[in-house]
Amino acid sequence: MEINILSFGKIAEIMTITSLKTDEPMDTDGLKLQLEESYPALKTIKYKLALNKQIVQQNRKLLSGDVVAIMPPFSGG
Amino acid sequence: MKEKNIKNIFVDGPISPAFIGGSIAKHSAKKEIGGHSIFLGQVRADEIDGKRVSAIDYTAYQETALEQMHAIRAEIFEKYNLTCMHVYQSLGTIKTGEICLFVFTSSAHRKPAIMACEEIVERLKAELPVWGREIFEDGTHHWKENI
Repeated sequence: MEINILSFGKIAEIMTITSLKTDEPMDTDGLKLQLEESYPALKTIKYKLALNKQIVQQNRKLLSGDVVAIMPPFSGG
Repeated sequence: MKEKNIKNIFVDGPISPAFIGGSIAKHSAKKEIGGHSIFLGQVRADEIDGKRVSAIDYTAYQETALEQMHAIRAEIFEKYNLTCMHVYQSLGTIKTGEICLFVFTSSAHRKPAIMACEEIVERLKAELPVWGREIFEDGTHHWKENI
């Protein structure tokens, strides 16, 4: 399956991937681990995920074609 | 399925004082209003490690931000007896001294307008996926974080 990845703010400066292919079942916690392995700088940032535009509050199962956004701390206003 | 009426809050560039004035003027027809409360966010020339901020470049995950704002709007109307509520957030490069946020609430009596306005500002800073990249006079940058 293929997960689409969007990144924002300072995370967009360190993460270059826009999609991730995997044969294993995947959830949002697993995706975080995999991204942190590829981009260790992520471990130092408090970030949130949005799955298909909804902010993720707890671990969620991922399906092929899902869009996951990686969002650093907000600073609007 | 009833379609949600998602209002846009994003404005390209700074929010002009003329726009704010015009927005106030539009409310003179609503005779049931007795009080307005307005919050304006202005880009501050912060100094970080000896470098001065000259502008903030705002970006957002717009669709998610608008969904979040839609939920906040519904909760605020539920909680406070408001006549109306308007929120505008700038995107793009806003220079120091320019307005980047405009929150405007109105009610029959002052308290709901004042309390709702404050709550909206606090919630949108914490809950909307919007990012400010502070640009220094020397061209380098720093990502702002709301506390």
